[in-house]
Amino acid sequence: MSAASVFGQMMSGLTSAMFLFLIASGLSLVFGVMRVINFAHGSFYMLGAYLAWQAVRWFQPAGAAFWAAALVAALGVALLGGIVERLLLRHLYGRDELYQLLLTYALVLILGDVAKFVWGTGQLSVARPPVLAGSVQIFGTTQPAYNLFIMAFGLAIAVFGWLALTKSGAGRLVRAAAYDREMLDALGANVGAIYTGMFVVSSFLAGLSGALVTPIESIVPGMDVLIIVQAFIVVVIGGMGSFWGTFWGSVIYGQVLSFGILIYPAFSLFSVFALMAVILIIRPWGLFGRPLR
Amino acid sequence: MHIRRFAALIAAAALIPAGVMAAEPIKIGFPIPLSGPTATYGMPILQGAQLAAQEINAKGGVLGRKIEILPRDSKANPDTAVRLARELIIKDGVNFLVGTLTSAEAPAVSTVAKENKVVFLVPSAKLVDLTEPSNLHPYIFRVSSNTTIEGQSGAIIMAKWPGIKRVATIAPDYAYGHEDIAAFIAKLKQLRPDIQIVDQEWPKLGESDFTPFITAQMGKKPDAVYCALFAGDFISFVKQATPLGYFKAIHNRLADGGEVGAVDETMPLGAAYPYGIWADAYDPVIWGPGEPPAHKAFERHLRAFTHSKYGSGWSVMGYIPIVALAEAVKKAGSVDEDKVAHALLGLTIDTPIGKRTFHAKTHETEMGEFWGVMVKNPAYPFAVIKNPVYYDPEPQPTTN
Repeated sequence: MSAASVFGQMMSGLTSAMFLFLIASGLSLVFGVMRVINFAHGSFYMLGAYLAWQAVRWFQPAGAAFWAAALVAALGVALLGGIVERLLLRHLYGRDELYQLLLTYALVLILGDVAKFVWGTGQLSVARPPVLAGSVQIFGTTQPAYNLFIMAFGLAIAVFGWLALTKSGAGRLVRAAAYDREMLDALGANVGAIYTGMFVVSSFLAGLSGALVTPIESIVPGMDVLIIVQAFIVVVIGGMGSFWGTFWGSVIYGQVLSFGILIYPAFSLFSVFALMAVILIIRPWGLFGRPLR
Repeated sequence: MHIRRFAALIAAAALIPAGVMAAEPIKIGFPIPLSGPTATYGMPILQGAQLAAQEINAKGGVLGRKIEILPRDSKANPDTAVRLARELIIKDGVNFLVGTLTSAEAPAVSTVAKENKVVFLVPSAKLVDLTEPSNLHPYIFRVSSNTTIEGQSGAIIMAKWPGIKRVATIAPDYAYGHEDIAAFIAKLKQLRPDIQIVDQEWPKLGESDFTPFITAQMGKKPDAVYCALFAGDFISFVKQATPLGYFKAIHNRLADGGEVGAVDETMPLGAAYPYGIWADAYDPVIWGPGEPPAHKAFERHLRAFTHSKYGSGWSVMGYIPIVALAEAVKKAGSVDEDKVAHALLGLTIDTPIGKRTFHAKTHETEMGEFWGVMVKNPAYPFAVIKNPVYYDPEPQPTTN
């Protein structure tokens, strides 16, 4: 294989990784840090995509339609996430995680039907924003500008998320809440608001990733469940509670897939599961995780 | 006087039960995915069937009885499809079954049809296994094409392309994809032994990110590609491959047998469609000069029925089995399963896309599809098939 091909395959792997990381970042917050099992995260991602498509149609006459649409979609899903958390999920925090799984799975079914009712069963597509429609030649390979943007954006989210969680006061509170809810509550912090806030942020990220994925993927019913298992696995591989873990988990997954299919073409079917098995055998708490308390 | 009135009453009473029986509808159970990624085809197929039922009922039904379609959402899951099929037969008492979309559901429901001796018509699954001698039984019939026909059509078309020496394939990693590619390669080697297969990519079904597969394939520098991706996968694939220069590198020499020439696929992609590739559809919808008049009428009714501007390339596959069943019941003179099954063998029906025959030995229509180059058409905001031509690589002799 020529150096250019290897570079091209590596960049493909990074592209896959960053698209997955965008979706998994929100899940890393809500599942990794807060230990809330939100199976409907994929549904938020799907709604972000549908809302972005809808918003693009509304804003069509205007120039920066895509970016405005992505923001509107993310905010819409964030609002939905806040409502879901306040009205439904918060009653289940102290209890067996199975209840959270059941509730959010019910949400998956409901939101799926809502999407089908509003947008139908057909496939929808959004065009690339004009400013990122071109490609760049790097080392003899063609790199679409949009893919490079997503890579940069994914990295930015990782950095920003890590800084926010570890260096800011709000981040400290969030990690404390995940560690010991009752103690934090007794110390006078508004734990309810912290959880709602985190859920809103996570939903915003889910909606945003759904919107940003529309120029390169088809919007179909069922895109919610197709992605959710991969997102969960990448969070677990990276280590629960670690934003960088999810980032590196995605990167490793992208490279393993990208070069794995060169060796064994049918690899994509089980690649993510094989990777999870291998990592959890070597390091049961994930790459950057710590042994569970 | 009394006796005559009494006789008249008895005569009237004797007629009533016959009247009641005539009013009982012929029930057709219709399990098909109505949610999830495959609903994008399941829904239009159901609508085609409902249109057929409406048209037949407007003319008085079959044997004086109206056709009633009972749709159920199989979610493209074989277990769900089986459960629904059983419920439809036992609880709802359907006379016949039409439906399932995927090659996973169809054989499962075929087993139920065999157990319960219910005639079952398949509108979409292409897996050859469905009617293999070991699985064939009197009550299974297939309307759709099969992977042998599809793969061979692709090979026949590509064999004619000049200057092709290196061919690659990309297909979803499950039974349908493997069968299609195998049939394609076998036929291509037969027609052009000089062509070399340089690469085969197998993304999983429902893959959202094709980028690594695209770059891996481009690295092998093929001259042309045979693609079996369809539905949402094809759309995602195109959106990712185009900016990577994939189509430019192969000069759009790609053929896809997964009905990506149907308006259901070309509409969402719009101007982003890779013009110049060869694609097919059961129903080209926008036909051009060769359009049969029956098709014009069908399209008009379909658009009115579904309140859509352009209809669908898939609805005809729901329309045909209902028409076929109606014809078979009429020919058999009853809804008795064995009589209807026998009536279907060798039955030729008029469809909006041409005459089709259920071949007596295989229980299949051995249907081909309409292929052509995908081009821009100023009248439509999406790609259309240029001069659609019907490809049927192995027309079966009509034996009865």
